[in-house]
Amino acid sequence: MSPNPLVSIRQLKLEALTARGTAHILRGIDLDIGKGRIVGVVGESGSGKSSLAACLLRLLPANVSRLDGEILFDGVDLVALREPAMNAYRGARIAMIFQDPMTALNPLFTVGTHLRDVLRRRHPGMARDEARRRSVAALSSVGFADAPLHVDSYPHQLSGGMRQRVMIAMALLVEPDLLLADEPTTALDATVEAQIVSLLENLRRTFSGSIVFISHHLGLVAQLCDDLCVMYGGTIVESGPVADVLGGPRHPYTRALLACELEDEAGGGRLVSIPGEVPDPVEMRDACVFAPRCPHVREACLAGMPALRDAGPGRRAACVRWEEVEFELSKPSQR
Amino acid sequence: MTVLRTGWTILRRVCATVTGATGLGIVVVVLIAALFAPWVSTADPDKLDVMNRFSAPSLAHWLGTDHLGRDLYSRLVHGATIALAVALSAIAVALSVGTLLGVAAAYLPPRLERLVLIVFDVIASFPSMVLALAIVAVFGPSTTIVIMIAGITLMPHFGRVARGQVLALKSAPFLEAERILGASFGRIVGYHILPNIIGPLVILASMDIPVVITIEAGLSFLGLGVRPPLASWGTLIQDGYQFLSESWVPVVVASSALAIATLGFTLFGEALRDAVDPRIRQEH
Amino acid sequence: MIVGATRPAPLVEFAGVSVVFDGRVRALDDVTLAVGKGEIVGLVGESGSGKSTLCRVLVGLTQPSSGTVKVGDRTVGEQLAQAPLAFRRRIQLLLQDAVASLSPRMTIGRTLEEPIAIHALPRAGARLELDGILKRLGLSNDVLAKFPHQISGGQARRVGLARALVMRPEIIVADEPTAGLDVSVQGELLNLLLDLQRDFGLTYLLVSHNLNVIRRVTERTAVMYLGQIVEDARTNELFATPAHPYSAALLSTNPAVDPKRRVHPIVLQGEIPSAVNPPAGCRFHTRCPVAQPKCTSDPPLLLPLDGGRRVRCHFPFSLAPRRH
Repeated sequence: MSPNPLVSIRQLKLEALTARGTAHILRGIDLDIGKGRIVGVVGESGSGKSSLAACLLRLLPANVSRLDGEILFDGVDLVALREPAMNAYRGARIAMIFQDPMTALNPLFTVGTHLRDVLRRRHPGMARDEARRRSVAALSSVGFADAPLHVDSYPHQLSGGMRQRVMIAMALLVEPDLLLADEPTTALDATVEAQIVSLLENLRRTFSGSIVFISHHLGLVAQLCDDLCVMYGGTIVESGPVADVLGGPRHPYTRALLACELEDEAGGGRLVSIPGEVPDPVEMRDACVFAPRCPHVREACLAGMPALRDAGPGRRAACVRWEEVEFELSKPSQR
Repeated sequence: MTVLRTGWTILRRVCATVTGATGLGIVVVVLIAALFAPWVSTADPDKLDVMNRFSAPSLAHWLGTDHLGRDLYSRLVHGATIALAVALSAIAVALSVGTLLGVAAAYLPPRLERLVLIVFDVIASFPSMVLALAIVAVFGPSTTIVIMIAGITLMPHFGRVARGQVLALKSAPFLEAERILGASFGRIVGYHILPNIIGPLVILASMDIPVVITIEAGLSFLGLGVRPPLASWGTLIQDGYQFLSESWVPVVVASSALAIATLGFTLFGEALRDAVDPRIRQEH
Repeated sequence: MIVGATRPAPLVEFAGVSVVFDGRVRALDDVTLAVGKGEIVGLVGESGSGKSTLCRVLVGLTQPSSGTVKVGDRTVGEQLAQAPLAFRRRIQLLLQDAVASLSPRMTIGRTLEEPIAIHALPRAGARLELDGILKRLGLSNDVLAKFPHQISGGQARRVGLARALVMRPEIIVADEPTAGLDVSVQGELLNLLLDLQRDFGLTYLLVSHNLNVIRRVTERTAVMYLGQIVEDARTNELFATPAHPYSAALLSTNPAVDPKRRVHPIVLQGEIPSAVNPPAGCRFHTRCPVAQPKCTSDPPLLLPLDGGRRVRCHFPFSLAPRRH
């Protein structure tokens, strides 16, 4: 996608052992994350989007049986790194904001302690006063009106929105090259979510790193992100600039997903859904992962997993028939 | 059907660890001895043969004889029956009364609930031996008394666990859903609460078996438990202890049986507790 | 002279309902709401708005501290006291966590028989009815032998729905019916709800934080804030021109995929106040971008506007969402 991406993921495969067999969570991911870009990753349950973030940090659960492929972070393959070397990246060059602000902070430590820990990891030996000053400044920058007061608060004294802001402040203090945000607003009330979204938008002016924004909310991604990557069943089915992809999807799944978004004013018409179910990660078939539910499926689709192919400037889609389908849909329907 | 499958999965997990398998093995041996005593023993445990007292282990008497010439091995086997019979009866009493009170406590108004909890605390803090002595002093020693004492002693633990489980469940969505359907209180308790709290209580019960075996043995040792001619391990130890100067075999044999059985049930109970885990749910 | 037809009496009527917990937390404050037979009414609001409490009061799980709730022509309290089972058959609540609303150690089949047993419905007829409902909801027979933790969220929702429908209720209260469902399957469930409403003449009260669902499915929507209804209007009018500043802000928070539909989000300052100590005057004034001095001291009443709308605001229509 971009000429000199910060992160270049090639053929990333992730498998885990479950009681029912081996689950193929990621089935060969190819993705570029450009420098300074905000990349949205959308997908439904079972798409593997959260696992992708976990892979970038290499914080994987114990039952993982296989991690293959390449994650080139500024030239270094994270998959091949030994644990101590990988750990040097976490909290230093890669930071993460989690979904549930309620449990992401340690209830025994004040906000100030959390922030100080982050600072000390980045700048070992930082003096207490300096750390406090920078913590207060960080809290102000994420919208705390009374930062000196809140720096001494405990997590349980803060609301969900405030805790999420603390997490964002912590992530920013890391001054990471890559910020991962896994559904950071899903657990929040709508008006509080709007505040966090506004904060994230303003971040673009001050934060120069790349952001990976994982969400199931297409509208949010449309508003916040530069690039979009649509995941389904452990694969990326489409990627490209967000306005282009959402304005003119090339993959049947993206198209179907957009149709399901209940945005049409016309109430009374039948609501659209995609028949069938998301694929079971334990069953892996060598065919297009969306084939069982695709309205445009043909023989060719069952021959093997389609690779991501070019589908326009900076765009890719994993559909062997995307051009034919485009053509079919552009014909005026004969009634 | 699924109950059987779950049971089999649990059993497999118990056997997966060395301690679990050992415990299970010992439990099975004790169970066989207890259930099939008349067939497993080699002789009539009450048959006197004073001429043959303290004989060494031989083919006729695998562990020798006691001070009255009775076959030690057979007495040991019958002792297992007593140990298990008392244990299971006492636990049945403690489990049922405890669960009843525990469930009630979770739903009673605060004052009455406190009363129930005070009863639990009083019983729990009372030294069981003193309680035993008091009861035996009034009613005389017997197997039923032992069961009663053990039952009363264990009851508060079951009660508290049951109450805790019910309190945790009280706000569960499915209970609200049943209320909205119009289910009566009795129906909710019987069909929806009890089946969901019985699991931990059964585990607790299995871990209390060695406790009761020990209580019973202790009381019988003091002469406050089962009456002759019934021979519990406690009585065997007492008899052997009296004649320790003449032979060390009876004491050692009976104490070993007690120790091994207690160990076996403890190991099994703990392995069971570890095996029954929410993890099991993922296996379906 | 045109004689206007008298409006039929509402099926559900909240009159000045307040719920206070522990003497401190005002979960509901003087709520007045009417739902007509066959209507689909949406309820939106954030944490602390009181929408869950409202639903619980309606189905009789929570007692109002003051005010009355009528279903039909008698209050909920009366019906629960005199004919509780009949009342339960009239109105059902679908809980938010569908899987957790099913008894974990009972098979689905057994759970579905609960209403039949509780209400002593004639077995043969009820079984037939249940079979028909299951087919209608797209639940195959092999789901009957499964346990709640073995079925998907979507299936669990439909099981909950089947369990409610067996009793032929008049009113269904659905608490977040699409929460946890993927976008690609929520349409199916909503279509189902709409079909059932049409075929059985059901009345719905739908609580959702998903504004798209509310807009597509409901006819009328009530917006709640801190235990009060702040606006009650026909859904398309509400979304087109919200009257209350909170409604305007809330409706602007839903980012649209289609850039043509996007509005500038109105970002409110501050946090949602606690229900223990609500702000004086208008409860919303602490976060309202267009608050006036009057709002800090004078609590507004829920007053009717033209077109059957009610708003609780001294200066309605002062905040309008701006399109891109």
